[in-house]
Amino acid sequence: MVETKNSEPLIRVEGLRKTYTDDGVPVEALRGIDLIIYPGEFTAIVGPSGSGKTTFLNIISGLDRPTEGKIWIKGRLLEEMSDKELSDFRRDNLGFIFQAYNLIPVLTVEENVEYIMLLQRIPREERKRRVRQILKEVGLEGFEKRRPPQLSGGQQQRVAVARAMVSNPSLILADEPTANLDSETGGGLLDMMRELNKKTGMTFIFSTHDENVMRRARRLIILKDGRVAEDKQIG
Amino acid sequence: MLFKLAFRNTLRQKRRTIFTMLTMFGGFTLASISIGWSDGSYSRIINMFTRNRLGHIQIHAQEYLDKPSLYKAIDDYEAIGQKVQSVPGVLTWTPRFLAAGLASLENKTSAVQIIGIDPVRENEATYFNKKIIKGRPFSPQPAHEAILGKGLAEVLHAQVGDEIIIVSQGADGSIANDLFRVVGIAASGNQMADRTAFYLHLSEAQQLFVLEGKIHEIAIIVNKLSHVEKITRKIKTILDNNALDVQPWQEFAKSFYQAMKADVEGMWVMLLVILLIVAVGVLNTVLMAILERTREYGVLKALGTRPQHIFWQIVLEINIIALASIVLGAGLSLIINHILSIHGIHLPTSFTYGGIEFKSLYSAITPRSLYIPAITVILSATVVSFFPALRAARISPAKAMRIH
Ligand SMILES: Nc1ncnc2c1ncn2[C@@H]1O[C@H](COP(=O)(O)OP(=O)(O)OP(=O)(O)O)[C@@H](O)[C@H]1O
Ligand SMILES: [Mg+2]
Repeated sequence: MVETKNSEPLIRVEGLRKTYTDDGVPVEALRGIDLIIYPGEFTAIVGPSGSGKTTFLNIISGLDRPTEGKIWIKGRLLEEMSDKELSDFRRDNLGFIFQAYNLIPVLTVEENVEYIMLLQRIPREERKRRVRQILKEVGLEGFEKRRPPQLSGGQQQRVAVARAMVSNPSLILADEPTANLDSETGGGLLDMMRELNKKTGMTFIFSTHDENVMRRARRLIILKDGRVAEDKQIG
Repeated sequence: MLFKLAFRNTLRQKRRTIFTMLTMFGGFTLASISIGWSDGSYSRIINMFTRNRLGHIQIHAQEYLDKPSLYKAIDDYEAIGQKVQSVPGVLTWTPRFLAAGLASLENKTSAVQIIGIDPVRENEATYFNKKIIKGRPFSPQPAHEAILGKGLAEVLHAQVGDEIIIVSQGADGSIANDLFRVVGIAASGNQMADRTAFYLHLSEAQQLFVLEGKIHEIAIIVNKLSHVEKITRKIKTILDNNALDVQPWQEFAKSFYQAMKADVEGMWVMLLVILLIVAVGVLNTVLMAILERTREYGVLKALGTRPQHIFWQIVLEINIIALASIVLGAGLSLIINHILSIHGIHLPTSFTYGGIEFKSLYSAITPRSLYIPAITVILSATVVSFFPALRAARISPAKAMRIH
């Protein structure tokens, strides 16, 4: 077990609220969330559709701003960062896996994975080495020169995992990473993520509907109507 | 990577890229040809006006042009001519004696503009002998010969061989009159001038008016129209004489120059229209592309791509298309302008400009005809993609990714 309540929190959320107002009628997506996430966690955010999972993940990763409440990641208060600082912070500390894979279709597998390291100005040799290594770990050796549309969903999502992990972020956020995959492929992907989590100590937070996926989490945070309905450790 | 993304994005929607390229390419080529055409036509018109008639630069005694007078004459013009000839870019010069008089043939009388010319120099400078449509040029030595403008010959019912009496007043106040034999009839191209033009041998004109050794105008021909102003300045410096007015054609043919300028301004209006067409085409492409890729830009931003990166990627993408269009457009325009500069276009109905008749016009390959369209295409592409790119750069990743 990497996670310990004694270490410094990775994420601290206090009184988080989010109300969407842009469609005219205000929608209260999050209605007061307090949470602490520790380094090394492998945590699932679950809940029915519309319960606020995506909203929650977006806000704790700085993709969206909260209406109320405070979020600290690695001790830094998000609201104090400008958009540009947030952008750099994401680049250096966070990895993303999205439901719809969201690879860049005009880039090859290799280039998709390499992209973030280019933003970080990592030297070429180092980039190539890391790309090779991570693609091996996600089982995509030999697919380097393919473009995403030439891959299956499961393969694309493994590229996405590689892309999220290649820069060694402290935290990987995944919004329904398995929703577009069949149960078996989804389970396989989760097992792979769990392996990487154990091996590297990287923190994973992912949202899901899928029982099969939830089972593999170490901690379950259940959202209902924008509130934490249950928060439990597994295993 | 920025370039790679931008470049590959251009290959994504090939049909759209080709459409955009066609718009830019068409706009560029049209603009280039029209500039080449107008440059060619105008330099031809200007040349007809200057090279073949008035000269590119003229020298007069001070204020002669404001108020022409027999007495505002230039002395020692040979020395002035030699100095002028020494200025680089000057091809040749020719002296002219100008005076008014009355010409009579039998019972017809008409006011005439007497133009005393040096037959050899005048022919060298303005191809005078080519303008003679009937009869022959002057003999090398003065022999009481006259050449009449076409219109004047009609007014006087004069034929080659007729003898015409000229009456005027000499510089000393005496009555100047003499008899000249018509040896030729000339059409200068300017019909108005031809109705009064009465050419004489320079020395005979000087004798007639008792102004030996004096002239009123020196017309100068230079090697290049675009050098006229520079050479004018040099001539002024070398002559260093306040009693002389040295003027480029833009000054001594002011109304012609202004008409010309107004016409050239018409070209800019056309360019603007072309620009607008290009802009609309580009705008359509950029908006469509950005709309389609909103999600992708959201992802790039989520991964930590800075907004300005996204902005430049879009602007770069459009400019790659623009550059490719310009290269293709330049190729085609060069070919078309080259062909039109050699063969020209024969006008279905000739037109008259500044009193000169034009039957066909030619294009010219000028640097302007390439770089002005290139700049306008690049500029319009950049300006038009600026705001959509800015919007894409500012997109909230959370919102962008909610779009499915
Ligand atoms: N940009 C937005 N504008 C308005 N309302 C929004 C916006 N984003 C989300 N919502 C609303 O906020 C609520 C929470 O949405 P969210 O997407 O976070 O739920 P979710 O748990 O991720 O649902 P799902 O399982 O369907 O993905 C929903 O009622 C949704 O309609
Ligand atoms: Mg969701």
